[in-house]
Amino acid sequence: MNIESLRQAATDGQFLGVDWGAFVVVFLVSFASAVLIVAFYALGLRLLAVGSADDTGADGAVVSTASADRPLAATVGGYACLAIGVSAVLYSLYLIIPQFH
Amino acid sequence: MDVLVTVALVVTIALFFDFTNGFHDTANAMATSVATGALKPKVAVTISAVLNLVGAFLSTEVAKTISQGIIREGEGGIEITPSMIFAGLVGAVLWNLATWYFGLPSSSTHALFGGLIGAAIIGAGINSVDFGVVLSKVILPALISPLVAATVALVATYAAYRLTRQARARGSDRGFRHGQTVSASLVSLAHGTNDAQKTMGVITLTLIAAGYQPSGTAPQFWVVLACGLAIAIGTYVGGWRIMRTVGKRITDVQPAQGFAAETSSAATILISSHLGFALSTTQVTSGAVVGSGLGKRLATVHWGVVGRIASAWLFTLPAAAIVGGLSAWLAVTSTAGLVVVAVLAAGAAATLFVLARRHPITHENVNEVPEEAPQTAPAGR
Repeated sequence: MNIESLRQAATDGQFLGVDWGAFVVVFLVSFASAVLIVAFYALGLRLLAVGSADDTGADGAVVSTASADRPLAATVGGYACLAIGVSAVLYSLYLIIPQFH
Repeated sequence: MDVLVTVALVVTIALFFDFTNGFHDTANAMATSVATGALKPKVAVTISAVLNLVGAFLSTEVAKTISQGIIREGEGGIEITPSMIFAGLVGAVLWNLATWYFGLPSSSTHALFGGLIGAAIIGAGINSVDFGVVLSKVILPALISPLVAATVALVATYAAYRLTRQARARGSDRGFRHGQTVSASLVSLAHGTNDAQKTMGVITLTLIAAGYQPSGTAPQFWVVLACGLAIAIGTYVGGWRIMRTVGKRITDVQPAQGFAAETSSAATILISSHLGFALSTTQVTSGAVVGSGLGKRLATVHWGVVGRIASAWLFTLPAAAIVGGLSAWLAVTSTAGLVVVAVLAAGAAATLFVLARRHPITHENVNEVPEEAPQTAPAGR
């Protein structure tokens, strides 16, 4: 391990035979996509719950089952957020199934 | 005659390895769904089994070398004989069964690599193994994948709770359970496209080495079918011992955590294999469960359990290598030696199954956690 090999690593991402550049890309893309998908799905659920009381208490017990009217904007926004999750699933299927590419 | 015996033994143990692979890895996709009550245990393993079978047929591309360059095979290197493959598989199978007995998730791929490395060292000398490749393809990814998955799942879990008023908003638990079912199914499908292929590669290589199949041809249909069925049956039978560990003992997984963990796992696995830096499914999912425990306010992560899993990962490669090496030492001598190894391995496997029956964990008690962790009612039922 010398300075030259470190300098090399800084430019092409190769060090100890491992492509660290590819690893960093994997980490960043996984992080961004997973967090965005989960956040949009959660936001969708929250928007669809607008207007209704919470159905679970702080201790996890069911406290309410009543539903109430929801503003149109919340309905549209909620389903739009869920649609992001659906498209992520379709894209995953595209990635998994080799016949598609 | 000798060749036929060898090939028959290799095919048998390869299919059995495939079975333990499915058995072990059910937990990866389905443990959190079973723990949160998103799916009934039997339904979860059925879905996972079917998707693994479908996955086995989807893949057309078979890994050209089973060892991915870890063993210097082919031109200018060593020749991998069917007896060495057999010995390697013995090491992998026994390690898989031992970790299953202790309920520890561990990578079947690493067990296979370990077994083959041991067999290659004994059968062809220490120079037959490229330790640089071992470091870059096995050891570093094993350190990296759980950290990546845990970080992703930690932030995702925090976001999921934050956005749904700690999952108290109306319908959020139900919504997270549905989402979790979908992302867990994706993990199962991705698993089927990868793992059944390894066994297909092993069997095809053996058939080619024995002269039953022309070199450079694709796996025969019966091989694809047998491997798909072996992994699916293994998945359906289910490693309930491992599922309890992943779903309940690392941390008591709740629907929002399960959704965040499975989605993070699916994203990490798909993106890493798509970008050519494949990470182990087992290590990604276990890391994601730990992350989901850290991301929820007031949730407890049982570090003792995490430590036991981590040490199992550390030992996977050397332990499988030792068993693989010992088996190779006996198996390469003669066909009789090979049969002796097969009998000993069957005996060891049977012993572990008998031991496991003394404290059975089945689909009925998978969510019950004795003593140390506080008992919580399975949600949603």
